[in-house]
Amino acid sequence: MSTNLDPLDPRPRIEPDGRIAGQRCTACRRASIHPVQRCPACGADLERAGFEPTGAVWASTVVRIPVPGREPPFGLCYVDLDDGPRVLAHVRGIDEPVPVGRRVQVRGMTDQGDLEVEPT
Amino acid sequence: MSAFVRGVGTSHFGKQRDTPPTRLAAIAIREALEDAGITDPSRIEAAFVGTVFGAAGGGIRALHAGGITRVPTLTLESACASGTSAFAEAVHAVRSGRYEVVLCLGVEHMTSQFGGAIHPEQTDPEGRSGLALPALYAMTASRYLAEGAVTHEQLAQVSVKNHANALANPRAQYAGSHSIAEVLSSPMIADPLTLLQCCPISDGAAAAVIAAAPSEGGVEVMSVAEGTGRPWGNGSPHVWGFDLVAETARSAYEQAGLSAADVDVLEVHDAFTIGEIVTTEALGFASVGGGGELVERGVTAKGGAHVVNPSGGLLSRGHPLGATGLAQLAEIVWQLRGQAGDRQVPGATVGLVETMGGGASGVDGNACVVALLQGKGQR
Repeated sequence: MSTNLDPLDPRPRIEPDGRIAGQRCTACRRASIHPVQRCPACGADLERAGFEPTGAVWASTVVRIPVPGREPPFGLCYVDLDDGPRVLAHVRGIDEPVPVGRRVQVRGMTDQGDLEVEPT
Repeated sequence: MSAFVRGVGTSHFGKQRDTPPTRLAAIAIREALEDAGITDPSRIEAAFVGTVFGAAGGGIRALHAGGITRVPTLTLESACASGTSAFAEAVHAVRSGRYEVVLCLGVEHMTSQFGGAIHPEQTDPEGRSGLALPALYAMTASRYLAEGAVTHEQLAQVSVKNHANALANPRAQYAGSHSIAEVLSSPMIADPLTLLQCCPISDGAAAAVIAAAPSEGGVEVMSVAEGTGRPWGNGSPHVWGFDLVAETARSAYEQAGLSAADVDVLEVHDAFTIGEIVTTEALGFASVGGGGELVERGVTAKGGAHVVNPSGGLLSRGHPLGATGLAQLAEIVWQLRGQAGDRQVPGATVGLVETMGGGASGVDGNACVVALLQGKGQR
């Protein structure tokens, strides 16, 4: 079951068209993935935006310690979306971090409601 | 108007599950008051408390246990920088003329909250996705390694140095003569950071008395700067937290009329090895990508030109979040007075304290505090 149906869940969501739901500043055009009400950079109003589900790994790790509700090890990476912000994503079934710079695409959400990417 | 650190005190640092935080706080408060030559706690006009995970009202209970009641009290939470934020606000309150003598207290009892690492915050987008703090710093380390800005051995050298420094600190949680190979072969926590590259969870307290008037051997606060990060994560070229530390440091240097070259001894936020490397760069001791070489060449080791974390740092002294900033301050004050025992940096005159707190994603750090302090000089 996806915990992403919880209205208080602050994690990114995927739109029906496969793009990542977000917002873009109407003034400075900065992209936001966080649930913000005004642009955190310039304070102007925002408009809804969807970001392409492709990008490159900016940084990467495998978490090997217990985290409540999760089974280690699990892969995490920061992905710079091609037309959007930097997002945190899970990577399934890896024992080594995905190399920095590697191209990835969003494959959906994990069972626990996290954005998940896979190398392309 | 000037502000002086008149007295400092700390508890022991470590896993002290059976010692309540009120007792740890009372130990630190008593030592700080005695150090300041204050026999009557009612001379304290206000209190500033830094604490993160404790129960509501924990700061008041801790002060009560240490004999401090009635006075205006502010409790601040800014993650790892909470104690340093309390110090910064105390300094501003004294400098503004509002008070003449105030107390800062930092306290944290982590073993009663966590069995292992701090739980990621579930109301945070990245915390909800399982980004534990070691993983956040591991991301930074992975980026630096991929850019060729640091080597695994340089990362490990930070741990080797700080654990060795802590051998001379009887209040440190851990100490040891580790080799680089031992650090790198310790259990992996979050690639590439191994166990000996991560600070432990700790219980502890630290306190300081800040006053408008100097005392004999007093240490003057030359400047203290505070900041919260700007948005981070839209193609930000620097790793998380770098810009916040750099900007806060710039402000602190400017206010004090000092530069990195003037600083003899530093206590900086080394919750993870990569943190110390990035921080020394952001503080101006090396260019970006030069922090690893700094530690490799021994510049930041005992006997080096800018000794970093002579106490053992967070990695070895321990990291009870709220207490950390004031423990860092205590170490610098002891160093500038020539009272640091076997850890003493000979001739230390100018010291720097830096703490950086994180956990709120989307911004380049919850809080950073950088303070510059000057002693009267001791040879």
